[in-house]
Amino acid sequence: MKQDPVLADIDGLTVEVDGQVLVDRVGLRIRPGTVTALVGASGSGKTTTGLALLGEYPAGARVTGEVVVHGRIGFIPQHPASVLNPARRVGALLRDMARQQVRDLPRTRRRAAARQRVAEALADAQLPDAAELLRRYPHQLSGGQQQRVVLAQALLLGARVLVADEPTTGQDALTKRRVVDQLASVARRGIAVLLLSHDLDVVRELADEVVVMRGGRVVEKGPAHKVLENPVHPWTRELLAEPRTVPYAEEGRAGTEVLRVDGLVAHHGAGGSRVPVLRVAGLTLRTGECLAVVGRSGSGKTTLARCLAGLHRDHRGQVLLDGEPLPRSLRDRSREQLAAVQYVFQDARAAFDGHRPVLDQVARTAVRLRGAGREEATAEARRTLADLGLGDDLVRRLPGLLSGGELQRAALARALLARPRVLVCDEITSGLDPVTRRSLLDLLTVLVRQRDGLCVVLITHDLDTAAPATRIAVLDGGEVVEVGDREQILTAPRHPFTVALLRASTRRGSAVRP
Amino acid sequence: MKRPGRYAAGAAVAGVPLALAVLGPFFVGEPGARAASFTPGGGHWLGTDFVGRDVLDQVLLGGRPVVLVALAATALAYLVALPVGLVSALTHRRWLEETLMRPLDVLLAVPSLLMLLLVAAAFPPGAVGLALLVALVSVPDAARIVRAAAAEAASRPAVEALRMQGESWWRLAVGYVGRSILRTLAADAGIRLTGALYLVATAAFLGIGVAPDASDWAVMVDRNRAGLFIQPWAVVVPALLIVALTMGSNLLVDAAMEHRAPAGRTPRDRVRSEPAPRAPVPPRKGRRP
Repeated sequence: MKQDPVLADIDGLTVEVDGQVLVDRVGLRIRPGTVTALVGASGSGKTTTGLALLGEYPAGARVTGEVVVHGRIGFIPQHPASVLNPARRVGALLRDMARQQVRDLPRTRRRAAARQRVAEALADAQLPDAAELLRRYPHQLSGGQQQRVVLAQALLLGARVLVADEPTTGQDALTKRRVVDQLASVARRGIAVLLLSHDLDVVRELADEVVVMRGGRVVEKGPAHKVLENPVHPWTRELLAEPRTVPYAEEGRAGTEVLRVDGLVAHHGAGGSRVPVLRVAGLTLRTGECLAVVGRSGSGKTTLARCLAGLHRDHRGQVLLDGEPLPRSLRDRSREQLAAVQYVFQDARAAFDGHRPVLDQVARTAVRLRGAGREEATAEARRTLADLGLGDDLVRRLPGLLSGGELQRAALARALLARPRVLVCDEITSGLDPVTRRSLLDLLTVLVRQRDGLCVVLITHDLDTAAPATRIAVLDGGEVVEVGDREQILTAPRHPFTVALLRASTRRGSAVRP
Repeated sequence: MKRPGRYAAGAAVAGVPLALAVLGPFFVGEPGARAASFTPGGGHWLGTDFVGRDVLDQVLLGGRPVVLVALAATALAYLVALPVGLVSALTHRRWLEETLMRPLDVLLAVPSLLMLLLVAAAFPPGAVGLALLVALVSVPDAARIVRAAAAEAASRPAVEALRMQGESWWRLAVGYVGRSILRTLAADAGIRLTGALYLVATAAFLGIGVAPDASDWAVMVDRNRAGLFIQPWAVVVPALLIVALTMGSNLLVDAAMEHRAPAGRTPRDRVRSEPAPRAPVPPRKGRRP
């Protein structure tokens, strides 16, 4: 053999469910020690292809084609907690697996050998403080740690191919960095990695081979440098397009003050373990502007958003709308106050009732908050949804039948029907692929520019998303470390944390340019 | 497809005692002259019981009190447990939650049969009283289940989104939370019904709430015990019917839950492949919906 042996070979794989083709004649070859990236928008068939390696198919699928695999396959799902038994400690989970492998040793040596294997797997998965970690339950670990425990399980089982599904989605820049290093070290050990991702920064850094998928088909594949630098297919080009830099709001249109945060201290926890997690001395929002709030996960940015919307009650200080203090809990806010400050949730799917059609749910805002009649509200909901690119047949369906991007638009429509003056968007683009994200942000731009006086608070961990905002507030450890116009923050940051954040983004090759 | 099979099994097992309980009384003939006690045959298909009545007639008559009281008790228990559980799950007022749930915890600590015996000794109940009593001892469990299930549903962003829309409490609690926990409640209602059947049958067996010669499956089991070896049918048939009712209702609830379970968890034998894609399957570590 001239080339490295092939560890996994997919040939002409077609997966159909109820006549709908999820994956159409996909071919893929995976060699040891390489990272193959499957890139594409959500719903492009990445996950179906990746799971085919594991012999997993959707319920009722018709499968044709061939999948040949040599050696074991490990799988790191997008939500690693879903594969860790919540009732058992991490150590027990790992030792169970190790014990299977040391069965043929003499009884006296099994225990030590199993322990040894677990320790090795943990070290390979780059889990420091292993001893302490083994005593914890999965829910006591951070998302990143859970991910590494699943990786350790795969390594323990001697996986030769690792399928990683969106390992960096929704993670901040510094966490992403660690995931990248970890996968790179796995590949160095000769394990083949199949990376399913729409995070192009990660793909750029890791991938040896790139396979671009769209609508279940492979539209382009080849060595990473070739595909990423000289994309041939127009879809690949669209996927690789630079993030937007045109500002969301028109420059110099910011008007009068709408919302002011005054001496806010928010707490988490209850009783004796109540800890302050956010301190904002003062923050002002003006009509027609877009304020981005940036920070790592756990920096308190979501808490800030929730305080504004009345979803987080446990805080001191005031949130003033037109100089009038807003009640802390939204249960005490009047209809007008509720309508004035609307909130769009990060997880659009979880924020919709799965049992009612999207259109009905969206229309309720106008009924409840503006006293519109049912007919009138439905008509307005339909118009607003259509403006956001959601057709009539789509919005009559139940939320489960819409994609994440579509649901996020519906969630925007639901908030807009209140005719809000302040729209708080909490990480609404995290978890979306670049193309969907761009179109959602374009919509937001249209909204800010068209709706007179609407002001948007954009909570994000992604500097690319924050860059086109009018002003940017940087949060770290529950404190606002810096607030300023975008120009100033992006070109002349004053606080060291802002500098670090900017550097982490630019090192990964993304374009943060004013 | 396995589901219709499970429905059929549940329906068949529970159907016989239910049909007997509901329709049985319509088929009972005039009570004839009493024969000798515990005689097999002799014009009586299932023989005679301890006072010489026709066992078949007794079986036809004896289901209704057991089933009705158990069903009424379960319904009553939920009538109380649902509002209590929902209110305490959805309120953010700690004291309200405590006021609602704490007394139930106390009730929970008392063994249900002991409670039944004690209250029955003080106030001998009738059928209605028995239903109330059984409902009372089922409430704490049911309320805790409702609250736990509802608390999970109430912490979802969908509830916050509904609040953001200014939806009424009723819409939140019943329209969303209530609907989301329906599956859990259906499963729990099945267990609750089984428990109620057990309690009602035990109470009847111990002679609480029923006359000693009442036409009642549980009473039959108790009273005809003496003749078990002479005329077994008078014990075996009602006992089997009670068992079938309990088992069948559990199977039905199971099947209903299976039916409502989200798609994507179907067994792999439904995946047809040609030619078979062969991948050695690692120990299953997770699947996505």
